[in-house]
Amino acid sequence: MTESQEPVFPFRATGGPRRMTAGPLGEMLTEYAARGLSGTVRVIGDPGGLVHFSQGGVVAVETPGAPGPELLLSRPGQISGSSWALAYAAAAAGGQLTAELVRRKLIGAARLEALLRIALADAMFVLTAGQVDSCEAEVAEPVCLLPLDPPADVSWLLAETSRRLAVLTTLPSQLVPDRDRVTAKARPLDQRARLDDAQRDVLALANGRRTARDLAFALGRGVFAVTGELDRMHAAGLLAIGPRRGAAPVPPLTGPLVTRAETAAAGHRAGTAGQAEAVREISPPRELPRRRAAGRGGAHHAEAAPSGSALLRVLRLGFSNPQPSDGGH
Amino acid sequence: MDTEALLAEMRALRDSVAGITDTALASRDGLIIAADTATIDPDNLAALAASALGVTQRMAAEAGHGTLREIVVSSAGGHIVTYPVGRRALLAVVGDPGLDLPRLFRESRAVLAVLDQLLTGAGSRPVAAE
Repeated sequence: MTESQEPVFPFRATGGPRRMTAGPLGEMLTEYAARGLSGTVRVIGDPGGLVHFSQGGVVAVETPGAPGPELLLSRPGQISGSSWALAYAAAAAGGQLTAELVRRKLIGAARLEALLRIALADAMFVLTAGQVDSCEAEVAEPVCLLPLDPPADVSWLLAETSRRLAVLTTLPSQLVPDRDRVTAKARPLDQRARLDDAQRDVLALANGRRTARDLAFALGRGVFAVTGELDRMHAAGLLAIGPRRGAAPVPPLTGPLVTRAETAAAGHRAGTAGQAEAVREISPPRELPRRRAAGRGGAHHAEAAPSGSALLRVLRLGFSNPQPSDGGH
Repeated sequence: MDTEALLAEMRALRDSVAGITDTALASRDGLIIAADTATIDPDNLAALAASALGVTQRMAAEAGHGTLREIVVSSAGGHIVTYPVGRRALLAVVGDPGLDLPRLFRESRAVLAVLDQLLTGAGSRPVAAE
């Protein structure tokens, strides 16, 4: 890659002007593939993530923005928690988990490879649809739990990513998978009867706090697939889109502390007044809630050392450290 | 205390870090101060977080490790991160398996400082002329 061809960061594939390629990240990954990289490319951004290479092919992509293969494998109807734990204990340390899952007949080899490929493509889609600030490569044999074997060709991966980005830009709802929260709408009984299981699952979780990304994690499905489903459900009048999740400005660590409400208000006023902003006085707080001794009224428990009283309350609630049974999600 | 200002900080933290599902601000006694939760019972979460914080602070002291910074509980279904807030409160952050922990650690420090300020009134400033 010559100086004149250096990729330009930061980069965001969507959010205007809309792009339909992996941009400079794709250029760098293509370059690393051509060099036969065995190592990890750290993508710094939002959500950012890791792209694991083995001899120029991509074996895994990890990102907080999309569920990994472990989650996809553990959703109901796939591999139970106990079976997974046994396979993991037997083989993960030796890097043979993929083979162990097949050996134990927990999943067929072809289906596992297809799932790993889907998860990898989904993660790459999320990486490139987000904000990419920079990326850096570390040359070392990659360490990942479920590497795709044979590795994915980068050109295939980027072509698949471009296809998904193109679909994203044409969604009628213009839903942004990691930003737009969705809320189920009230629907009449006859409409409820016509919903399929996937739609019912989505509606049960669409509480106005979850984005497509969040729903994908909750359901153990890919972000791209869930985004498409949400778009269709929005068109059918089943969902409302909003509010949008945003990266609120973080108050500086040094200097005077400013609340987010003040930061937002100051930003708005600075746009009109153009002057240094006033800071409102913080009024003295009332007392924090405290436990009172028994007999002094209320339903509080006797005073004790802080951790002891909290534990006492938990025990009286009948909360007895239940261990979840296996069965995945 | 300004509960709305506390909740604004907590909601902004949930906005800025992907994967956060719920947050709860509680006293060290385990009593809820403010909660931004969906289906989790904030009272139970507050009590358990306070209990865990107390025990783990003693563990850190036993190991000679100084001030406890956070507790991270990682399970198959997600993460719970508990932070001390000043000397009298705590913040419990619940997230899904994809919770961006490094980003949370970066974003939380300023939030914890502001929450402490709101709870204690430390660092109050006079209103400047506009």
